[in-house]
Amino acid sequence: MKIRIRKYWREFLIFLSIMGPGMITANVDNDAGGITTYSVAGAHFGYSLIWSFIPIIIALVIIQEMCSRMAVVTGKGLADLIREEFGVKVTFYAMTVLVFSNLFNTISEFAGIAASAELFGISKYIMVPGCALFVWWLIVKGTYKSVEKVFLVACLFYVSYIVSGFLSKPNWQEVAHSSVNPVLRFDKAYLLMLMGVIGTTIAPWMQFYQQASVVEKEIKLKNYKYSKMDVIVGAFVVNIIAIFIVIVCAATLFKNGIRVETAKDAALALKPLAGDYCFYLFAFGLLNASIFSACILPLSTAYSVCEGMGWEVGVNRRFREAPQFYALYTAMIVIGAALILLPNVKLVPIMLISQATNGILLPFVLVFMLLLVNNKRLMGKYTNSLIYNIFAVLTIVVMILLSIALLLTQFIH
Amino acid sequence: MNNLAKPGPLQDNAKHMFVYFSELMDRPVFDKNGQLIGELYDIAVKPTEVYPQSALLVVRKGFINRKYGVINWLDIQEMKEKVVRLKIDKAKITFREKHNNKEELTLRRDILDQQVVDTFNHKVIRVNDIHLLEVDHSLMIAHVDISMRGLIRRLGFEKAVDFLMKIFFRNADYLKTEHLISWKHIQPLSINPVSMTIKVNFPSKQLNSIPAADLGEIFLDLSMQHQLILFKSLDLNTRARIFMNIDFKAQESLVEELEQGEVVEILMHLPTDEATDFLEKLPRDITERFLGLMESKQSKKLSQLLGYSSDSAGGLMTTEYLAFTKDTTVGSVLSQIKERVFKVEPAQFVYIVDEEHHLVGSTNFRRLILANPADPIQSAAFPKTYSVHLDSSVKEIAYLMEKYKYYVIPVIDEKNVLHGIVTVDDVLSQVISIAWRRLKKIKVQQPKI
Repeated sequence: MKIRIRKYWREFLIFLSIMGPGMITANVDNDAGGITTYSVAGAHFGYSLIWSFIPIIIALVIIQEMCSRMAVVTGKGLADLIREEFGVKVTFYAMTVLVFSNLFNTISEFAGIAASAELFGISKYIMVPGCALFVWWLIVKGTYKSVEKVFLVACLFYVSYIVSGFLSKPNWQEVAHSSVNPVLRFDKAYLLMLMGVIGTTIAPWMQFYQQASVVEKEIKLKNYKYSKMDVIVGAFVVNIIAIFIVIVCAATLFKNGIRVETAKDAALALKPLAGDYCFYLFAFGLLNASIFSACILPLSTAYSVCEGMGWEVGVNRRFREAPQFYALYTAMIVIGAALILLPNVKLVPIMLISQATNGILLPFVLVFMLLLVNNKRLMGKYTNSLIYNIFAVLTIVVMILLSIALLLTQFIH
Repeated sequence: MNNLAKPGPLQDNAKHMFVYFSELMDRPVFDKNGQLIGELYDIAVKPTEVYPQSALLVVRKGFINRKYGVINWLDIQEMKEKVVRLKIDKAKITFREKHNNKEELTLRRDILDQQVVDTFNHKVIRVNDIHLLEVDHSLMIAHVDISMRGLIRRLGFEKAVDFLMKIFFRNADYLKTEHLISWKHIQPLSINPVSMTIKVNFPSKQLNSIPAADLGEIFLDLSMQHQLILFKSLDLNTRARIFMNIDFKAQESLVEELEQGEVVEILMHLPTDEATDFLEKLPRDITERFLGLMESKQSKKLSQLLGYSSDSAGGLMTTEYLAFTKDTTVGSVLSQIKERVFKVEPAQFVYIVDEEHHLVGSTNFRRLILANPADPIQSAAFPKTYSVHLDSSVKEIAYLMEKYKYYVIPVIDEKNVLHGIVTVDDVLSQVISIAWRRLKKIKVQQPKI
């Protein structure tokens, strides 16, 4: 008995040492844009959208697990593999679109930082440059290990949403009921919201980032099962937090019929309904998520582009050893932060461009991934099984259709 | 150092012509009757010579239902005006779903866009283009291109970018220098799917000439799969050299992938201090398993060394040193030094012992060469030899070495019996790690490659 406990304890410790890439990638999914979407979903539709998080978890696990597996088996990043198997042209254009998509995403993260600064009554002209400097310093001066630790702490701060969920005193019975009883309402607003919630779950940068960070962490094949656990746990954690965001807004705003358009509105509306603590926790969650994502998105871009173009890559290298890597990272942060500080900058078109580029790139990335993961020469006996392939193809088709549909509706609006 | 290739003997003759592989790729291929067969997809070369020569042409046809045909290089009539003409008839070519010529190196699958080792600049690089030389109707790999310009050429923007650069930056490096690296410095890393090995470039033996520390660093730049396969393709000496120069984490993951017998072989080839360094970090049961598999003499030596604390003289020392009894003549010492094979270059010190292996004195190569060959070795000894005890601390050793300007110091026990030597590099690495712990921020000056 004692031996068995010790064995589990040992396995748990190994898992802790492997954990990271999956957890971090999943959590960045709850970025400024994600929090806005979930807040609006909760405020407008109450608990009725909670069921959709269950298929989201499955989709996230299926897609991210393939990246993780490719990283462990081949020891190469996704951009590396695309370059080696599909040639330089494809890689170049994919990277160009990825840079744009991530740049606009980064801008919206800095917008999130500015919004939460205002919630705390701090001038955005202090907060935005300060945070930009912090995230830049973190990567340029850090090593992969130290950076990962900071990121994992940031993941921990998402607990603030769970606490604020409890503070808002929701009707738990109703929550439980609606999470297992899918309702499909056929009014336009509901369907649009549903597409928004699912469509924001899987973005192209996530696959590149996940694979690159598993490679950088040098996880061995024999420890792969822990890496898989990392992906699964990450997917659950991120969606539980998303559910809590929906719950907070449903229990307070929806019940009182308050309509909001942004996460900032939601936080402000929470103040009189759920109290100061709930408000501060909500605002802090937004700030944490925005800073965290403002760090990861430029990092993911730098990784992917340098991999694909064959330039030196890695947080563990110095500025002089990997100039393109750090130049790209710096440029993304500077542009992102500077644009937000411009007076009269409009956020809606930025979000639109980000979504459009994501929607264009996602189908290609997912199809490349499917081809690569089934390539025997690269993966040996670790290719997808038939059943896994059926699920993967299904997921990918749904994700592609959703992202295209989302794109079309945005432009029709 | 720069990336510019030295003009090889091949470049001297002006009538030879260079062509980039990216310019040949996807050219239409016609048979002898002028009928379109498909497009040029890949070229296979014979990797036997320093500059491999083209042997086969791979033609691709169809778009959705892609098929590949392999054509002997001798059946090519000409490659001019952006088309390839063959001597043979279309019907003679058999097309298959796949082209798997495992023996040859093929340009598109194995080299273009792949990572290779540049043994001249000691780096892992990605190939943007391949520079080919036309000699008597066949092509030879002359250089690989790793430049930005190569990348732009592949994207099809070379003319446009060149034009813009000529207008705005007439003197840019971009236009003037060609970042070509001669093939003789390139070690491809493509894996043979059958034997799971990498064909090491034997004609040039470049990998063996790289300093061990650099080789270790190149090695760490590769993916685990490539690390393992490259490692297995190398000879035992090079393996041991690499093993000494990678960190413990990388050593550990290598050992996990290798057979036990292979690990033991490497351990036997390592200097004893490096072997103990590695073994003492492993879990006890694994260390014992390896020791059990080794030759008894070696394993006895190692387990003895493992008994000492790692920051004492006993833990740091190596048992490979030169020692002779005091009556040996200088001439016979010199001839024995010439005959012995060493795992590492020994420090140029020779120790003098009596019959019970008590340390009597020391001398160095210079003194031995200058001495009369007929005299006993004792006559060439230094007037005094300082030594440390088995349990002396790193600080004591460092202090003594600095004081007497030694770069090797002998280690003795309480009865004055010689057990081994500690070299300055082992002391330095310990002292540096102590210093690191104290002042966490030392700016390490990186030599620019």
